[in-house]
Amino acid sequence: MEAIKSIINFLSYPEWSFTLSLILFGLAMWSKALWTKAGGWIMLILITVFFGLSLFDPNFFVVVAKPDNVPIVMMIYIIGFFWWYAMYKAHQNDRRIEAGEPTFEKSESEDRIFTWPDLVFSEFICMVLLTVGMVLWSILLKAPLEEPANTSVAPNPSKAPWYFLGLQEMLVYFDPWMAGVVLPGLIIVGLMAIPYIDTNKKGNGYYTFKERKTEIVLFLFGFVILWSELIVIGTFLRGPNWNFFGPYEYWDINKVEPLVNVDLSEIIWIKILGVGLPGHWFVREIFGLLFTAFYFLVLPVLLIKNKFIDGFYQKMGPTRYYVGMFLFLTMMLMPIKMYLRWFLNLKYFVHIQEFFLNL
Amino acid sequence: MTETPEETKPEPAAQASEAKSAQPAKPAKPAAADAEVSRRGFFSWAAVAWVGFTAAAGGCLTAWGRFMFPNVLYEPPTSFKVGPPSDFAPDAVDERFVESNGVFIVNDQGQLYALIAICTHLGCPPNWLEAQNKFKCPCHGSGYYRNGINFEGPTPRPLERAAISIDPDDGQVLVDKAQKFLWERGQWDDPSSFLTA
Amino acid sequence: MEALKNLQKSIVKSQIWKSIFRVGIPTDNRKRALAMLGNVVLHLHPIKVKKSGLRMSYTWCMGGTAFFLFLVETITGILLMFYYRPTVEYAYFDMVDLREAVAFGIMRELHRWGAHAMVISVWLHMFRVFMTGSYKPPREFNWNVGVILLVLTLLLSFTGYLLPWDQLAIWAITVGSNMARATPVLGHEGPGAALLQIGGTKLIHVGSDARFGLIAGRTIGNGTLIRFYVLHCVAIPFVAACLIAVHFWRVRKDGGISGPM
Repeated sequence: MEAIKSIINFLSYPEWSFTLSLILFGLAMWSKALWTKAGGWIMLILITVFFGLSLFDPNFFVVVAKPDNVPIVMMIYIIGFFWWYAMYKAHQNDRRIEAGEPTFEKSESEDRIFTWPDLVFSEFICMVLLTVGMVLWSILLKAPLEEPANTSVAPNPSKAPWYFLGLQEMLVYFDPWMAGVVLPGLIIVGLMAIPYIDTNKKGNGYYTFKERKTEIVLFLFGFVILWSELIVIGTFLRGPNWNFFGPYEYWDINKVEPLVNVDLSEIIWIKILGVGLPGHWFVREIFGLLFTAFYFLVLPVLLIKNKFIDGFYQKMGPTRYYVGMFLFLTMMLMPIKMYLRWFLNLKYFVHIQEFFLNL
Repeated sequence: MTETPEETKPEPAAQASEAKSAQPAKPAKPAAADAEVSRRGFFSWAAVAWVGFTAAAGGCLTAWGRFMFPNVLYEPPTSFKVGPPSDFAPDAVDERFVESNGVFIVNDQGQLYALIAICTHLGCPPNWLEAQNKFKCPCHGSGYYRNGINFEGPTPRPLERAAISIDPDDGQVLVDKAQKFLWERGQWDDPSSFLTA
Repeated sequence: MEALKNLQKSIVKSQIWKSIFRVGIPTDNRKRALAMLGNVVLHLHPIKVKKSGLRMSYTWCMGGTAFFLFLVETITGILLMFYYRPTVEYAYFDMVDLREAVAFGIMRELHRWGAHAMVISVWLHMFRVFMTGSYKPPREFNWNVGVILLVLTLLLSFTGYLLPWDQLAIWAITVGSNMARATPVLGHEGPGAALLQIGGTKLIHVGSDARFGLIAGRTIGNGTLIRFYVLHCVAIPFVAACLIAVHFWRVRKDGGISGPM
């Protein structure tokens, strides 16, 4: 038992768990068997068995059973369920389309039904059930209230509200102006831009996967992996000193993790070229600046050479393509920076303290 | 807006329709004769009005924004006395003024300086860990050496120093947090950023 | 039994009753339509809906759930305001009172758990709309209104997080608001802030930057508490309610609940 626990602890460290979840995400999107009733039941049972058995571990229990963390356990189940359910319906419709039948929605969309009583009553029933659920939840769990505020003693760890923990996790890898201002801003802008970038006319008003694979995979990558998974990591696996802890690890306040991070300029000038850091910031950061320019300005043009991406370029036209590509590359900056941090201890590509400009 | 009618002459169709729209302003005269003049007159007044309206709206927004920045703060004073220099033992970090005023007074290698107890990452108060000889921020694990230079965690830069001086009247050490000294700008060489013990 | 029926009849036939409910319980199609047209709450709905759009397997009822939770938050929030004083001296102890001394002491729980549930249901509503491609023309604008409502939901929850004035609250807001220090140009530790200066005098410093405007002081204090309180109880709910109205209106105008074109 202890051996299994320590294996899970080891695997849950971000460099492995993130890699694992990327692989699982790829397999899941590729798979068809997962999005059937049997696949759904198996996943549900596996997750529940994992949670059920883990609750016997005192360290796991302490973290999961905090009242404010209960919604996140709920969120894992709810997002998991609806992810499965949407894909299940999408694959059902895809099979219908393949067989030349109308989609499930299409077969019923011509039917118009009076709002009274069907819609009004189902809304009423939903409201009653939700109210009962909310009251029960409120009676069973007390809302947390800690000691009175004290501006000189910070609890360790200090966490933002749970829905912002994905952003707080980004702060480990990015400077505040990126993680706290620019990236959240671009998430909002990116979401708002979706209807104007996506030129695919198919899949409007019904579940389908086959007709809009790329859009769905990209959206799910952002929503499930980069947003929801980072929230789960930030809630359950970040402990004192913002150190990483496996699910069965004791939150030891004295845990020492060597965090010796270096900038790209130090790696290149000192480690590779063997000379000291140049004095002027522009010369010092030239490689980082070149990399950034290449990543955002040259890479989108180079990528058009790829046949698959060229297809999008032809369909979307230059403006939509470059805006969409910029948003996509910004999103991918997150996993890229995470891996560079884990395996090269990279701190910043560009580190110009003179202007507070760190990337 | 241009001066000569030749330059402004629009497409015939547009001219006709604009002449029509300008007509109610001067119903007595035939429209074709001086539609140019009345249109220009009309548009320049409209331009003045729109510029005025935009300026007024911008002024309202600015006033609204400025309203949100308070002029009076009920916060502890930024300048305070911490006692005579002899109170601070050599090579020690003094934590007495962290809770009340938010500074560590550090006596290090013959220099006395005040490090502001705000982590340069996200503003949590770092703790002084005597055993590990470092400042450690509880929120995200940034670590600083005794002298405030960062060496671990996500923070991009060292802690900041506050201005420090000796009050000429009573010989006490005077700390002024309104003035900050940043290492990365070379300001730690500034004589008001430290005292020579 | 007969007496009860007579009583019901006399109530339903009375002038008072008829003045309120123009159409009785709808029994035929004409009355079903009139019920939708004549009632201010019900007229959010069209008279008829697509059968496919009615199915919970299609909509997941998440938009409705989010709206219902918004109403729950409004009602419980108003009740909480009767006992809560937004000052540093009283805020925490009013919280303790709400928990220990006030009758039916689950209002705060309803409010807090409702907020969590609202955040999740808004996410899932967006997820459903994406998965059914319902943001595609003609619904692009309404998707954008929805994204703003999502941001407002998070801001509502964030501003409410400070109000208990306990350790959890002030440190979460400290961490959350400190990012504003690093706002490009407008934060005193952000890139480009040094550009805004006149003759060596910095315009952007710790007492004038974006964060200062947000929390009304150099540190989280009384100014922050009252500011977040007003944002949480009045300003953001007001904007959100307006946008919810726009959102619903556009659902109707863009062709009702989405379905295959």
